Amino acid sequence: MNMSFYTQMMRINLKMFLGFGLGSAIYVTLMTLMFPLLNDNMEEFDKMIELFPEPLLRALGLESLSSYGQFISAEYYGLFYLIILGIFSVMSAIQLIARLVDRGSMAYLLSTRVSRTQIIATQILVFVSGLVLIHLMTFAGGYIAAEFLVDIESNIAFDQFFYINFVGFLLFFAVGGYSLLISALFNDERNAFALAGGITFLFYGMDMIGKLVTDIDWIRNFTPFSLYEPGRIANDEVDILMSSIILGSIGVIACVLTLLIFKKRNLPL
Amino acid sequence: MMIEIKDLTQEFSNGKGIFDVTFDVEDGEVFGFLGPNGSGKSTTIRHLMGYMKAQKGYAKIKGLDAWHQQSSARSHLGYLPGEIAFLDGMTGHQFLNMMAGLQGVHDKARRADLIDKLQFDPKESIRKMSKGTKQKVGIVATFMHDPDIYILDEPTSGLDPLMQNLFIDLVMEEKARGKTFLMSSHSFAEIERTCDRAAIIRNGRIVATENIHELQSMQRKAFNVTLTDKKEVASLLESEMKTEKVDELTVKIELQGNYDVFINTLSGYHVKNISADDQSLEEIFMDYYSKEEVQS
Repeated sequence: MNMSFYTQMMRINLKMFLGFGLGSAIYVTLMTLMFPLLNDNMEEFDKMIELFPEPLLRALGLESLSSYGQFISAEYYGLFYLIILGIFSVMSAIQLIARLVDRGSMAYLLSTRVSRTQIIATQILVFVSGLVLIHLMTFAGGYIAAEFLVDIESNIAFDQFFYINFVGFLLFFAVGGYSLLISALFNDERNAFALAGGITFLFYGMDMIGKLVTDIDWIRNFTPFSLYEPGRIANDEVDILMSSIILGSIGVIACVLTLLIFKKRNLPL
Repeated sequence: MMIEIKDLTQEFSNGKGIFDVTFDVEDGEVFGFLGPNGSGKSTTIRHLMGYMKAQKGYAKIKGLDAWHQQSSARSHLGYLPGEIAFLDGMTGHQFLNMMAGLQGVHDKARRADLIDKLQFDPKESIRKMSKGTKQKVGIVATFMHDPDIYILDEPTSGLDPLMQNLFIDLVMEEKARGKTFLMSSHSFAEIERTCDRAAIIRNGRIVATENIHELQSMQRKAFNVTLTDKKEVASLLESEMKTEKVDELTVKIELQGNYDVFINTLSGYHVKNISADDQSLEEIFMDYYSKEEVQS
């Protein structure tokens, strides 16, 4: 950890963090504003939903829309959120290490008494800070919209809404963790991006296919995305603690490996 | 000993690399590291900076192993990378602040003095700077924390002749303050002006470590002499010097220390023009090799 480097890296990346955070917050806010419309016509919506095949609904997290948590999970956390945060995690993980090695700027950062471990620990912290910021903004967007802009008496359980964000944060801490690990392994930014992006896409696809095709739902045991089920968090159906511990551990282990590997490897600077 | 490199070896998968590189740089010395592009200069420097682990041998800075004790070894260094690659989206000031934070030294007066000397606007975004200005920012970052040892990888590339002179003044000033330099270059002229000693590297092996004056005397110079008369050209070609006819009226004369003969011979001719033809590094190498071969 180096404070001056952290400050400078945060300044460089803040625009990107705020961009993702704002996009995510605005989406949640708009969806929250739409919730009362749906709430009033819930019966009709439920009838319409019954027309869709069940696996598809499961894959999209659309099983039920009766509470705010379920609604927002279906409308955002089950799909767009995963895509947006997936892109964010892979992109920033690659930018924070592999890009600096590929372009040679790492030579400057490693020209002083500051060690490799300190530089990478700082970069990991920058990534986590960005992820926290995005989730805070998203949570705030939903909370403020529901509290002050929408006139609904019940149905909004903020505990669940918080957990949806919290476990989501841990999911992308894990995704970012293995992306940082890949980022620390490669000399070429594009190769690192292709591999980290490819793996993330594969994990996401495995979760989707496992939900759609019940015969092969075992495939979901091999992807971290299956540990994040916002719709079921909203229904209090899942063991949040267990998923949190597993996702958090993946992230921590990946970060520790990132530090160890980067310390040992030859750098083409 | 400020820098100590012994049997340093790193062979890459394509067979290239550096092999048994050995040299020392003493306290207060300006040491040149000469070699054509791709000869292993940067690879050697990467070991000194702790970016690579030697397969054999070692590199030490002030007795500290450049790999195992890399951060303490680097704490004595000012490093100017060969290819300047900054972080995106910073101004010169922000970059220098960050570097000062990493170096742990905030000598604002020295930094301001350097910026003043090199004449550039640090408030400008680095992305918009010209190559030369970027190089200046790099030079300030290298010098501002007043390190004991400077490692400069091709420092004057990208600078105009005026700035090159200014840079050489800066090096000489620091040398007068007792600082040590390792400076790589592919141009003999650049090394000649500043260095006390130089090592020549070729295909990953050190072929010579010499006092700079010895290297200078080894350097062969060629002059193109234009005369007015074809008969004179014919007689000049007969002289004892190494001559070669370039065109009808011009003769190329190669000299190696025998400047007196050159002057005395030409005094008998009507010379219309003389132009000097500096020898390239490759040619110095070729000379060096032919000398080695004759000896062995």
